[in-house]
Amino acid sequence: METVLSISNLTKHFGKIKAVSNVNLQVKAGQVFGMLGPNGSGKTTTLGMLMGVVNPTSGSFKWFGEEPTHHIRKKIGAVLEHPIFYPYLSGQKNLELNAMIKECDPANIPKVLELVELSDRKDDKYKTYSLGMKQRLAIASALLNEPTVLILDEPTNGLDPMGIAEIRELIKKIAAQGKTIILASHLLDEVQKVCTHFAVLKRGVLVHTGPVDDVGRGSETVEVTADVENLNEVLLKFAGTSTINREDGTFQVSLRDGFRSQDLNKFLFENGVIASHLVTRKKSLEKQFLEILAGA
Amino acid sequence: MLHLLQIDLKKLTSYRTFWVICGLYFVTLAVATASGMEFLKWLARMFEDFGQEINIDRIPLYHFPDVWLNLIWFSGWFKIVLAIMVVISVTNEYSYRTLRQNIIDGMSRAEFVTSKVLTNVLLSIISVAMIFFIGLVTGLIYSPTQAYESILTDVDFFLAYFLEIFFFLSYTLMISVLIQRAGLSIIVVLLSQMIELIITVNINEDIPWLVPYFPMRSLWNLIECPYPRYAFQEIKDYLDPLSFAIVAGWTIVFNLVAYRKIKKSDI
Ligand SMILES: Nc1ncnc2c1ncn2[C@@H]1O[C@H](COP(=O)(O)OP(=O)(O)O)[C@@H](O)[C@H]1O
Ligand SMILES: [Mg+2]
Repeated sequence: METVLSISNLTKHFGKIKAVSNVNLQVKAGQVFGMLGPNGSGKTTTLGMLMGVVNPTSGSFKWFGEEPTHHIRKKIGAVLEHPIFYPYLSGQKNLELNAMIKECDPANIPKVLELVELSDRKDDKYKTYSLGMKQRLAIASALLNEPTVLILDEPTNGLDPMGIAEIRELIKKIAAQGKTIILASHLLDEVQKVCTHFAVLKRGVLVHTGPVDDVGRGSETVEVTADVENLNEVLLKFAGTSTINREDGTFQVSLRDGFRSQDLNKFLFENGVIASHLVTRKKSLEKQFLEILAGA
Repeated sequence: MLHLLQIDLKKLTSYRTFWVICGLYFVTLAVATASGMEFLKWLARMFEDFGQEINIDRIPLYHFPDVWLNLIWFSGWFKIVLAIMVVISVTNEYSYRTLRQNIIDGMSRAEFVTSKVLTNVLLSIISVAMIFFIGLVTGLIYSPTQAYESILTDVDFFLAYFLEIFFFLSYTLMISVLIQRAGLSIIVVLLSQMIELIITVNINEDIPWLVPYFPMRSLWNLIECPYPRYAFQEIKDYLDPLSFAIVAGWTIVFNLVAYRKIKKSDI
């Protein structure tokens, strides 16, 4: 697969603060790449360097195998941290301005406005928009030049549950078109729901990178205890079982996609096993994430 | 180049404040420069002796070629209004963080600065065109001589006038980029004349040769006040190449400093 982005030894210090330290990373075409890390772990700073607004202390990166220039940025759609627009301009005028800067065809404007469902508010001033509309306009602007790579930084930050769902739907819709997406988030859930690959940053250091485990994706881990000898065997017979771990006398069962803890409970009951303890645990990636952060 | 100017104008032309301030500038400039004779007539009516002692029609305020330098020098005072517009246009890019987004969207830092500089050039050219037009019209109305030689005398001062406006807007651009806040930038731009005066007065004793090289002072030397000639004093009615070079030098420095600052900082 074609390498879209390769980062080598990228470092940024703000005075004494080591915001990003020696990050090495590759993003391939078609990946939905999650950059996961707690607040202040250096996600925005990394993306800022990639988009030319933060000058790296050392290290380098290449977009599409080329040294970065402002011309390359025109081919990438990016929203860092917050949507940024001229408040006194309408959504339409803001996009017209962005089209001029990106030197792309303004004929795309109605298309992207339609995609983010802002067509009927396009002539209102940006400052009258709700936060969700601002985020959507930012995504529209990022899509304006029909980029092959889209960078989104905490795109659901501060939104209400409905706004969050809308944005995630939108991201999935865009990913389905085969675009490469780099998504920074401190929300594991978000990365898990939309990403194919992810990297974990901790205090500016890259501590993990790899695919989002297919087993863990969208599934649950269930903790089970029961007063029967052959619990292990019964659990193995359950169609939804992916892996089983034994920890301190309880069984940790990770479920396959589409299976819920209720299904397991029902299955056990039908097999004459009554669980004395059955708890749905955190999703596996979260566990993975916390382990990575603890171990690093 | 034109593309960069279009980008900056796109930001400004839907901005009400831009039209209010530019409107204020060009209307007051036009009214103030064109109404000199009406003002003298009004004085004559108010103070009867005034009109009797000197025939106001004989005051060559708008006579060719005096009209050019008279209007140019007087118009210079109004450039502060344009400077306020520049402060707002530049500091907005910081307070809205749109400078950051412009770079993310694919402008280079040099292009961003160039777009602001080009707007300054345009505002300077419009100022020159307007004063030339007003000078020409008032001159044709009031001037007893309409000879080409006298019309064309001193028009080279329009080059100086262009430089004066562009110099000052460049200075304002630099201050706005360095300070990034509208209020403080406006205060600094307004006070800089005074601060420089305090400095030059103090060093005038010891190192007087340095004084003409100070930026604001060099501006006063470039276009000297022409009115003392009506009190039978000598005035510098030619363009001094050294003054011109000093002002042009400062103008380049201001724009380069603004560029360096934007180039080097994380935004
Ligand atoms: N312009 C700046 N000046 C000084 N410190 C900064 C600046 N930007 C970010 N930092 C610091 O760098 C670290 C990483 O910040 P950031 O990249 O925003 O993290 P994240 O996006 O992962 O929340 C934080 O400690 C933050 O305080
Ligand atoms: Mg961040």
